[in-house]
Amino acid sequence: MSTAPAKRKPADYKSGLKPIWCPGCGDFGVLASLYRAFAELDLDPARTVVVSGIGCSSRLPGFVSTYGFHSLHGRPLPVAMGVKLANPELDVIAVGGDGDGFAIGAGHFPHAARRNVDITYLVMDNEIYGLTKGQVSPTSLTDQRAPSTPWGNLETPLNTLAFAVASGASFVARGASFNTKALTELIVQAMEHRGFSYIDALSPCVMFNNHQEEWKELVTDVAPDHDVHDKAAAFDLALKGGFKLGIIYREQRETLGQKYQALVEASKASDVDAMLDAFSARKGAAIGKPTA
Amino acid sequence: MTARSSVVIRLAGESGEGVISSGDILTQAAARGGYWTQTFRTYPAEIKGGPCMYQVRMGGERIYSHGKRVDLLVCFNQEAWDLHWDSLAPDGVILYDQTAVEIPEAYAARARPVRMEQLAREIGGSLRAKNMVAVGAVAGVISFTTTPIEELVLRRYAHKQGVADANIAALRAGGDEGADLRGSLAIVDPVEVEEDRILLSGNQAIAVGAVAAGLRYFAGYPITPASDILEWLSAKLPQVGGITIQCEDEIASISSVLGASYAGAKAMTATSGPGLSLMTEMLGYAGTAEIPCVIVDAQRGGPSTGLPTKTEQSDLQHALYGGHGEAPRVVIAPTTVEDCFWSAIDAFNYSERYQVPVILLTDQGLATRMEVIHRPDTSAVELWQRATAAGVQGGYRRYELTPDSVSPMGIPGQEGGQYVATGIEHDEHGHPAYTPENHVAMQTKRWAKLEPLRNGIVRHESYGDERPDIAIIGFGSTYGAVREAIDLARAEGLSVGAFYPRVLGPFPAERVEAFCAGARRVVVPEVNFTGQLARLVRGECGLRVESHAKCDGLPFTAEDVLDVITERTPA
Repeated sequence: MSTAPAKRKPADYKSGLKPIWCPGCGDFGVLASLYRAFAELDLDPARTVVVSGIGCSSRLPGFVSTYGFHSLHGRPLPVAMGVKLANPELDVIAVGGDGDGFAIGAGHFPHAARRNVDITYLVMDNEIYGLTKGQVSPTSLTDQRAPSTPWGNLETPLNTLAFAVASGASFVARGASFNTKALTELIVQAMEHRGFSYIDALSPCVMFNNHQEEWKELVTDVAPDHDVHDKAAAFDLALKGGFKLGIIYREQRETLGQKYQALVEASKASDVDAMLDAFSARKGAAIGKPTA
Repeated sequence: MTARSSVVIRLAGESGEGVISSGDILTQAAARGGYWTQTFRTYPAEIKGGPCMYQVRMGGERIYSHGKRVDLLVCFNQEAWDLHWDSLAPDGVILYDQTAVEIPEAYAARARPVRMEQLAREIGGSLRAKNMVAVGAVAGVISFTTTPIEELVLRRYAHKQGVADANIAALRAGGDEGADLRGSLAIVDPVEVEEDRILLSGNQAIAVGAVAAGLRYFAGYPITPASDILEWLSAKLPQVGGITIQCEDEIASISSVLGASYAGAKAMTATSGPGLSLMTEMLGYAGTAEIPCVIVDAQRGGPSTGLPTKTEQSDLQHALYGGHGEAPRVVIAPTTVEDCFWSAIDAFNYSERYQVPVILLTDQGLATRMEVIHRPDTSAVELWQRATAAGVQGGYRRYELTPDSVSPMGIPGQEGGQYVATGIEHDEHGHPAYTPENHVAMQTKRWAKLEPLRNGIVRHESYGDERPDIAIIGFGSTYGAVREAIDLARAEGLSVGAFYPRVLGPFPAERVEAFCAGARRVVVPEVNFTGQLARLVRGECGLRVESHAKCDGLPFTAEDVLDVITERTPA
């Protein structure tokens, strides 16, 4: 009698590099949830890619035993898109922080979402710039005092959940680093979801913006009767305040990769010689636009 | 009157008036008729309106430049005459729409009115047939049989017999118009050849060359004059199983290209100077993380938004050095449309073998001109692949310091090849590492691996005398004009030769020095303001060079270069 190969354990996804994060950083909870989710999904480390941008949280790929791509500030989404479109067999997850994703990288977010690229995007949201020592981020609260806002933050925080729903993300959820069991489950569901999945993970910065205790007080689960397929209800939930944990929206929609696959299959197969034929001075050229 | 070996035909008028389509028809018909051609066009940056010009040079022998003096000027409107009369050759002929243009008395003897609008309406059935009237008149003057044009018309309107007939009638009517100038600019008949030549632009040659090299992922953002690479590949790449995506910006384009290449695909993006600026941060990343990719920069006039529809070679320094820190890359400058095809293949080969970003540096002139070239023999295409971590057994080091400084690359899906690609300085494993020794070792590795490209394996172009008295060093699209100028100068008894490094980074200093060793003068023509290549030659070779930089948005003509060679005052 043959036995099924043993399922991988969370520890199997540890790279052996020690995280550089400050003691108590919320990102530890996110990383632990990620290890558990990967184990639960039994992902093959050789076929999994973790892509990040720049910042404290973006050092995460180094701590995971899968393939990793530690890219540039704000760029994890286009990089992850390229990885996934080039090899649809891979499981691709992009990770980063709120500054990375919603300041410098904000231009990429709606496009990844509307394209419905089959990747998961996990943002460790601490409402601050940690690595550069505490300046405000796009999700920082109004009036917050920080080194760059000595008179208080004059700006309104970005509602990333509403942004995600508005942009066409097909899976939108919020978790918290201090609730690893639920966050693990969200990551599992997001990675199982076919399409662009966005998870906002509350992840306190203990050095510069420690909201851990307040957040623990404030968070409640999304009501069980919330209809995750109802976009208006999802907006409503996103706009009412950010402290509902769970899935707020999901829809099943063809992914960009599936559409390209269909396009490739529908295309008339060709090769370089046939392409050169189309430029032939004698037989190919026809009046109109230069032959394409 | 003896027949000419080549003729320069310039059609000019308002954008949208049929100038471009007339030029296209003529070019394609010439190619179909067995002539060699090269085109050059200027057009306004506006979408509609504004003056535009399409120049076709055609002849019985291979043509390397677009020509200077216009033998046959076709004026669709008064502005066309006003802008172009002074480009006419001394015996140049003029065709013009008499309802729109007045020609001064002094030119009357060699100008012939053509009832473009009137015949288009009466015989062609629509004002849109104006271009066919014009083309018919041109064909008469150069004694070009209209058969290939009629074949094209029949092909184009295969399902609309009425339209085809009307167009052919307009074509023939145009031919009758210039009857008394018939044959006044006759071109020699092309030599009949079996060879199947092709007609395409520099952009198209790069696109199809990239496919031949194995391109399977292209991402780009529309920008003049690079957009038709994106457009052509959008249509064609799915046919070979690849993907073309129009991204939200240039940063996303190159980022996704690096993601795709990291995942194992041969990947490319194409842009112009403003886009290259945006891509520069990720270009440095590619150099540091050692991820292959190809970036086409079809240069246009700068700085800033500059001259979007005009040519310039002013991104050379940006391509070579742009970015923070010192990030390795390879820069290749194709010289002709044919060379664009082969350079695209070289670009992928170098990129894959040395795991380095490669910039293909063309310009508006080369990118958009149509040229008849020898059909590339695809059986001669040799492809290099990157070394991968397939089959590694334990202890995989992504950035291993090997004798040739190239390290096998783990591709997601390969067991045991897991690593983290990163722009942070890293050790052999890819782990962040900031020690002085490690940084020196890694910078050395990243640059040393490119040394075979400096003086070794790459193809360079040279023309004319091998040990010239007057040595010309140039790059990219100026090659054709320089080549023709050398023929003219040597006919005057001068000793002239040109050396064109096709790889500019790393710079082949030894080969340039060797070429210039016996030269009395070293001349560097280039299309920019500050003489970037001249500075590079001075700096790399320590040579005293004459910079002949110009930045009027126009490509060099052979006559321009001849003036430089002979030190004559420009005519």
